[in-house]
Amino acid sequence: MPKLIAFRCLSALATLAVVSVIVFWMVEWLPGDAAERLLGRDVTAAGLAALRDKLQLGIAPWSRYGHWLAGVLSGDLGTSISSGRPVADVLAGPAGNTLLLTGIVLVLYFPLSLGLGVWAAVRQGRPVDLAVQLFTLIGMCLPEYVVAIALTSVFAVKLGWLPPLALIDQAHTFGDLIRTLLLPTVTLTAAMTAYAVRMIRECLIDVLRSGYVDMAHLKGTPPRRVLLRHALPNALGPALNVTALNVAWLTGGIVVVETIFNFPGLGRLLVDAISNKDVPVILSVSLLLTGVYIFCNLVADIGSLVFNPKLRSAR
Amino acid sequence: MTLLLSAAPRNIGRRPSLTGGFAALLLAAFFAIAIAGPWLVPFDPAAIGAGMPFEPPSWQHPFGTDNFGRDVFSRVVIGTRQALATGLAATGLAVIVGTALGLWLAHRRGIVDEIVARILDVLISMPPLIMALLAVSVFGSNPALVVLTVAVLFAPRVARVVRAAALTVVTEDYVTAALLRGETTLAIVLRELLPNVAGTVFVEFSIRTGYAIVMIGSLSFLGFGSPPPTPEWGLMINEGYAAVNASFWPVLAPTAAMALLVIAVNLFTDDVSRLIGHSGPVEARR
Repeated sequence: MPKLIAFRCLSALATLAVVSVIVFWMVEWLPGDAAERLLGRDVTAAGLAALRDKLQLGIAPWSRYGHWLAGVLSGDLGTSISSGRPVADVLAGPAGNTLLLTGIVLVLYFPLSLGLGVWAAVRQGRPVDLAVQLFTLIGMCLPEYVVAIALTSVFAVKLGWLPPLALIDQAHTFGDLIRTLLLPTVTLTAAMTAYAVRMIRECLIDVLRSGYVDMAHLKGTPPRRVLLRHALPNALGPALNVTALNVAWLTGGIVVVETIFNFPGLGRLLVDAISNKDVPVILSVSLLLTGVYIFCNLVADIGSLVFNPKLRSAR
Repeated sequence: MTLLLSAAPRNIGRRPSLTGGFAALLLAAFFAIAIAGPWLVPFDPAAIGAGMPFEPPSWQHPFGTDNFGRDVFSRVVIGTRQALATGLAATGLAVIVGTALGLWLAHRRGIVDEIVARILDVLISMPPLIMALLAVSVFGSNPALVVLTVAVLFAPRVARVVRAAALTVVTEDYVTAALLRGETTLAIVLRELLPNVAGTVFVEFSIRTGYAIVMIGSLSFLGFGSPPPTPEWGLMINEGYAAVNASFWPVLAPTAAMALLVIAVNLFTDDVSRLIGHSGPVEARR
């Protein structure tokens, strides 16, 4: 088992390396070289040559990749082309904002999905369960921008209760902050919770049908204790797995949701950097998000190995 | 009693559910609209000034008009074809390539299979939306390239699922018999393996279509799809969203169309997979 986990970790690292090569190469293919993109159309040949020199565009891509990788490993992410600031500085603010947003989302997500999942499973087939199933199905099918727009249309445009854009930089009081963050938070939480609730419900229903739960009932254990001590721990493994996959999904989810609400986080930074062809920023943000994605998949993988011994001999 | 029921073969006595039937009808309607769209619409979807800008819904403009006075109803109806066509094309490509690869790997086994399966694992552990954004921004954002990008992202995922399903088939005696008869790889893959994983392939096709529509919609919403004034739903949502304070009909109509289509695809998939004895495919989303 430790061998298997070590192997998974190694292959996650290998994946990250492969992704960095792919991303670097894709960006190399962007039309025009960095100097042309930076200086725009009306530029002298001399200016172009000077900048190419400065950006070291003359050397072969492989050695530039090596340079870049060495820089990243020593903590130097390069300089943003559009703002001229170090990429690390450009990343810091948005990364903090995204951490704040996703942190709040996760804090809401855990109790909500566990609570709803357990509630629906215990009341299987009753109106509560059917309602939960219907809403989670809808929440799971809908793309997050559809949810975001539905929420904005109602709460920001029709009722005017909340701001349609999450301009967190302009929020001065705590109340402002909550109001600006509410819509993006609800959008992301809804998408993640819907998925988790269905998984937890399904697992718990399976567990509740099992022999040892029947046995616990038969020996006279109070129903609440059966649920909390015998059934729930067995549904937690899959729940952890779903959570890791959900966080992995968040890396893409924030790109869309931050763009919709104009929230100054990593997702929007990536979209902006792509439109500005700001290569160093594109590289750093996409690798950072990919790293999180791969890490979450790794956690899910290891989690399911730990919680489901049957899988250990599978490969 | 529950024990007796759960011991029964899984797909006996299963009938299409009400929701499944409803979803099938809805999908049929979407296909009809996609095909007959150009004859149904009262206005040219790109015609500026079909009405005043931001008109509310009326008999003439059932979903109102957008910032250029274009008829939102016509744009949504015409957009149906592109949404379905790009979604189905991307998924179709991914499923054909993925199935071929998955079946071949399962048949081949050995070291080649091991290596390719590892490579597939690496490809699958890349975040799809971010990879798609990068690919589209590098290679350009015309519909054909978006379709190709999504197909490339989905194909390894299909291959992994099909390979796993086919690995349980390759050990069957009839496959060994076919091998001993000296049949070619192509014949074995097509005649022995494919029919036995057809259910998995169909379910995979059906789920992936839903994801593909969502993903292409997301790309187009983020501004990496067709250029304006194409009546593409994601783009319409993006454009309408900028002026959502003036009128929310230009946003609401394409959003609702996309939502209905994706829900219909998912409910349909759910029911079909239940009928052929697969367990909850919609759950496999992430």
